[in-house]
Amino acid sequence: MEVRVAMADRRRVNGPVGTTLPPIYDSPAPSRSRTEKPENAIRKIFLKTGVTPSASGSAYLELENPNATGPSNTSLKLTCTVHGPRALPRSAPFSPHIILTTHVKYAPFATKQRRGYLRDASERDLGVHLETALRGVIIADRWPKSGVDIIVTIIEGDQDRNAPENQHEEGWDTMNVLSGCITVASAAIADAGIDCVDTVAGGVAALVAKEASSPPSVVLDPAVADYYKIYAACCIAYLPTRDEVTNIWFKGQLPGANVTLYNNLVERSLVACRNANRVIVTALKQSITPEQEVS
Amino acid sequence: MATQSSLTLSSTTFAKLSPHPYLLANLQPSDASTPSSRTNGRQPTQARPPAINTSSLTHAHGSAVVRTGDTTVICGVRGETLTTSQIPNYRSEPSSTGTTASDTDELRDYDLLVPNIELATGCAPNFLPGVPPTTLAQTLSTRVYSLLHSSDVLNAEDLRIYHETNHDDVAGDGNDDDESMQDVADGEDINAPTRKVMAYWVLYIDLLFISLDGNPFDAAWAAVLAALRDTKLPRARWDADREIVLCSRSEAALPLSVSGLPVACTAAVFTAKERLKQTQSRNTGGEKGAFWILVDPDRFEESLCDETVTIVVDCSAEGEETKILGISKSGGTVVGADVLRRFVQVAEGRWREFKNALT
Repeated sequence: MEVRVAMADRRRVNGPVGTTLPPIYDSPAPSRSRTEKPENAIRKIFLKTGVTPSASGSAYLELENPNATGPSNTSLKLTCTVHGPRALPRSAPFSPHIILTTHVKYAPFATKQRRGYLRDASERDLGVHLETALRGVIIADRWPKSGVDIIVTIIEGDQDRNAPENQHEEGWDTMNVLSGCITVASAAIADAGIDCVDTVAGGVAALVAKEASSPPSVVLDPAVADYYKIYAACCIAYLPTRDEVTNIWFKGQLPGANVTLYNNLVERSLVACRNANRVIVTALKQSITPEQEVS
Repeated sequence: MATQSSLTLSSTTFAKLSPHPYLLANLQPSDASTPSSRTNGRQPTQARPPAINTSSLTHAHGSAVVRTGDTTVICGVRGETLTTSQIPNYRSEPSSTGTTASDTDELRDYDLLVPNIELATGCAPNFLPGVPPTTLAQTLSTRVYSLLHSSDVLNAEDLRIYHETNHDDVAGDGNDDDESMQDVADGEDINAPTRKVMAYWVLYIDLLFISLDGNPFDAAWAAVLAALRDTKLPRARWDADREIVLCSRSEAALPLSVSGLPVACTAAVFTAKERLKQTQSRNTGGEKGAFWILVDPDRFEESLCDETVTIVVDCSAEGEETKILGISKSGGTVVGADVLRRFVQVAEGRWREFKNALT
């Protein structure tokens, strides 16, 4: 419905003029079986670089979904392409450092609700967060007067197919998407050969209630549909070897404005970041051929 | 590669500096012992083998990933419902017998198929996001749209959602009873179950290029076809009380019946003469010169060729002749009837490659 608010775009095939509705089912979805994830672990990440040979650098990321209800056993599929560094257009003003442009876009089939082709506010927001996370990593003054484009396409968001409608409204899944975006972009930048101080990785920790009656607990990398309620979540972009944080996004309410709880949440996110970083390092090592390693 | 070159340039540098002579030197080696081939090592009529993977998306009703060489495209098909009251030019049909004659009209008249191609994913350096769809993206969407309609792959019957009033409903609960009695009274025969089309499925067919290295149309069309063959729509019925379409979770989803297997095959025509000289020779009525048909061109070859030919063939009818569903040729004057005839055979070979990848 939101897709059609804007005037029909003549440059795309718009379909019928009437409003189309996503399917409405007669019975609620079967409750999903939940396999417990170890407390200190994040979901398994599949990361591969070089999926788009025509780009300067690229990477593809997938998260394993052990409780899959759909046809595939993964959720969150992201691809990232990096174009550049390349010369800025002549009309651009002088810049002593590289100009970073980030684009994050959901595919129309990425979420439960069909997405439009124009970027909406949440996508722009993700783009800004991603830019902040990456800007501190790239050694920007090595490329004066040049620009680099980083494009992340979300092929599939981190939403459960059978999750109740009310849950995804709060947008907790965007935290996981952002952490995935940071991780995949970091791998793609390294694939493009752009000098960085470290490989940045994203990680999420959340304060959740597993059941309606259970007390709140802190978990890593929360699959939103697994929990009864999420109170707060924290997404961090972290450089493990330098022990620096480039971006922090905290959302939600902590009971009683507890500072130790907040610190705890941040600490746990860093654990998730370190785990994701190991995946990046392994993926990058795999992309190096033996003879490159020697030279 | 560039044999007997006195220049001490690497072949990649040569390709960048003077692309046209570079490709020509590969296709027409001055040394007879060197076999002629394209810069990518393929023979002129050799296409890149396709790899197809289906059902990888969670939120789509059908999906496919198609890879030919370095061109990768993802297609997701998603069904949404559209009630007939929302269709301005809707004509209710007198009977519910699904006649095939009006099939194409329904799909086209009510605009039930919505294919869109997105290239602005950074799939190639010249396709960056943040700009309106490029001419190429628009052309591709339109070509897929018209081929979907003209090739008759889909059956409108699969997309109809009926309101059925029959004995079972009458025997149902009290509320339903009155309404269905009224409905039945409208029809002539009280005993016969009446079906009325109340809504349609609209198929949103979204294509996303992950990587582009030439020949986007063939890959896109193969992805559309593979995704449609993979599509399963939930069983839907009209709920008269709430006036909405309800889908059943208990009954298994129905696959779309996709008839035929049209496969697109594209080739670019590379002429020995460069563009500028070519126009001069045309003006003076000069001879045609040597040319090569490069099947399944990559990005480098596409940039050097003016003329492209696409043929859509379907050989799935056993023992019958190949059906040609579409021919399109743009730019240039080289390809004539005899070249096209030869090219159909190449397309038949390509059809078999895709068929093996699909099944």
